[in-house]
Amino acid sequence: MIELLRRSLTARTVFATLVLSGFALVTLGGFLSYSLANSFYQSRLTQVLNETERAVGLVQGTVAAASLTDETALQTLINSVVPSLEISGGSGNRQVALLRSPGQPQLQLFQSPISRDLDLTSIPGELRQAVRQSPGILTYTSISLLRAGSQVPGITVGAPIDFPLAGDFELYLVFDLAAEQQSLQLVQNALAVGGIVLLIIISLLSYFVTRQIVKPVEKAALAAEAISDGKLDERLPERGNDVIALLARSFNKMASNLQGQIQQLDSLSRMQRRFVSDVSHELRTPMTTIKLAGEVIFGNREKLDPALSRSAELMQNQILRFERLLADLLEISRYDAGAVTPEFEYQDLNAVVGAAIASIEPLAFSMKTEIQVILPPSSVDAEFDAKRIERLLRNLLSNAVEHGEGRAIVVEVGQNSQAVAVCVSDSGVGMTRQQLERVFDRFWRADPARQRSVGGTGLGLAISKEDAILHRGWLQVWSKPKRGTSFRLTLPRRADSVIANSPLALPPRSAEI
Amino acid sequence: MSQKILVVDDDDALREMVGLVLSGAGYNPVFAGDGISAVDVFTSHSPDLVLLDIMLPGQSGIEVCKQIRSKSGVPIIMLTARGDTEDVVLGLEAGADDYVVKPHNGAELLARVKARLRPLSADAAVVQIGSLVLDPQTFEVKRGAVSLSLTPLEFKLLHTLAAKPQQVFSREMLLEQVWGYQYKADTRLVNVHVQRLRSKIEVDAENPKIVMTVRGHGYRAGTEAS
Repeated sequence: MIELLRRSLTARTVFATLVLSGFALVTLGGFLSYSLANSFYQSRLTQVLNETERAVGLVQGTVAAASLTDETALQTLINSVVPSLEISGGSGNRQVALLRSPGQPQLQLFQSPISRDLDLTSIPGELRQAVRQSPGILTYTSISLLRAGSQVPGITVGAPIDFPLAGDFELYLVFDLAAEQQSLQLVQNALAVGGIVLLIIISLLSYFVTRQIVKPVEKAALAAEAISDGKLDERLPERGNDVIALLARSFNKMASNLQGQIQQLDSLSRMQRRFVSDVSHELRTPMTTIKLAGEVIFGNREKLDPALSRSAELMQNQILRFERLLADLLEISRYDAGAVTPEFEYQDLNAVVGAAIASIEPLAFSMKTEIQVILPPSSVDAEFDAKRIERLLRNLLSNAVEHGEGRAIVVEVGQNSQAVAVCVSDSGVGMTRQQLERVFDRFWRADPARQRSVGGTGLGLAISKEDAILHRGWLQVWSKPKRGTSFRLTLPRRADSVIANSPLALPPRSAEI
Repeated sequence: MSQKILVVDDDDALREMVGLVLSGAGYNPVFAGDGISAVDVFTSHSPDLVLLDIMLPGQSGIEVCKQIRSKSGVPIIMLTARGDTEDVVLGLEAGADDYVVKPHNGAELLARVKARLRPLSADAAVVQIGSLVLDPQTFEVKRGAVSLSLTPLEFKLLHTLAAKPQQVFSREMLLEQVWGYQYKADTRLVNVHVQRLRSKIEVDAENPKIVMTVRGHGYRAGTEAS
């Protein structure tokens, strides 16, 4: 229930409407029923008092008119008058009692005339006392009566009556309010039923009204979801002129603009990639000719004079550099075109790490850099493309040698149940945070003013990153200025699986010492 | 007498430059600039080896390769602008023996050419493999009285396997001993040529009895004798 309220705007709105209107209805019903009950009671009270006054007048008139000589005559008279009071009057159901006030000499024969069924508890002692103390006026009290096994409200009215010869009496009339109670009950029932029906109607109404507003919003939400999932053709129906239609129109306009922008960017970047690929390919044939020609000249440089000979050397070096750049450009354009198919094979990562280190050793030696290797005792088997991973590691190693300032480079290999990892760390110049953010960008160099001893193409790390992604692996970097840089490559053991965590720490343990 | 090499490339400068490199190494280059004339020049000059560019006007290098193969087993080395596309496999399947990726250097090119023109060692003996008899002197393969036509490369491949029937040859070993590669090369060369060889010598190429695959290792000669 709470879950539904939290999730559905409609449910929340309907629930709030229900609670508020329920509260309003209960308040209104309570007030109505209270004032009705009050007015019923007041009008009945007036009637009751009138009737009692008439009854008292009748009894007193009758007694005064008769010439009473003795007790027996009084008794006879009273016995005839009092029962007649039960039926006279408008409302029928009343009971009568004529009681002799206490504290007077006993009349020998007198018997108080009391209506049958009258329960004397309906005439409380306090009332009798009040009646005796207020001669000439009517005194009343509300009571509760038992009628046909259920409690009904009633009124007892009393008045003192003075009989000549016989002394003080009190006349009591007991009225029940069953009819009024019943009417009130009827009204209350009607109110309750009406209120419930009203609540249901209000709920339905608020449900439909809310749906009317929420549904387009929901549709817009779903459409936005679809667009963010790449279904750029998703649109909302535009009907009418209201605010909902305005929402739909604005949404569609936004989606169209977005689609246009994305398509434009997409075609631009496709064109650009196509251009890089074409240029690279077109360059290959002249490059081959230049290379062959350069080799011939370079091979015969002893026959040239010193200036020409040196020129041949310079040209040869730059041709090689140009060739590396071209090869990297071609490689990256292959990735951009999605035309790379790796050859996965289940093999030992240690062996590939060893091969990469062996190929970089001449460079490390010339830079007087030591390479320390930490390998696990057992083989580290995983599914990967050895050529690409070796190239990637060579690249990381040559970067480490170039930026390591001659300090030792640490290569660590690790494995866990799902992944294998290599971490290449140097203790060299390191990089700032801003530099780190761009480290995998194409043609980006940490320090353009720095002398290039190794002469990378500027595409090495960009290609390495692509290689890692191709393997569904991670290539991550940690670096701090003057502390050094660590690159960690993590590969899943199976080419089709996903890595949860890397077996090696980054920054590496060696960097924390 | 110097060996004649046909250079087929549509780029004039490159064609001439390759010619210079070949002349410098003592070969005698002849040239063709498109796919149509390539076949004519081949027929009129009957070169000892063909360097063939894949991207050619007229008809593609693949087509030229097929046509030359249909009448000769002369070594064909493809020059390809792309190292990793299906062009390589298509070229090998069309009958090319080897390929060189542009931009290549002179030494690399000459090494490939030399390897393809190197004859079998003189002391190579006549060997038998399955029902086949291989004569290295005449490059003849016979099943009984029937002569089978193999290219020199295919012959060398089969002879290498047959000479040591006890040995399993890895693809890398075959690349070194048959193709003359000193370093890691494309193992697809071996795969494609084993397929071509099987289609020529096996009774049922789907179920080879002469060149057997050893899963995970490479190939060996079949031991079946008939």
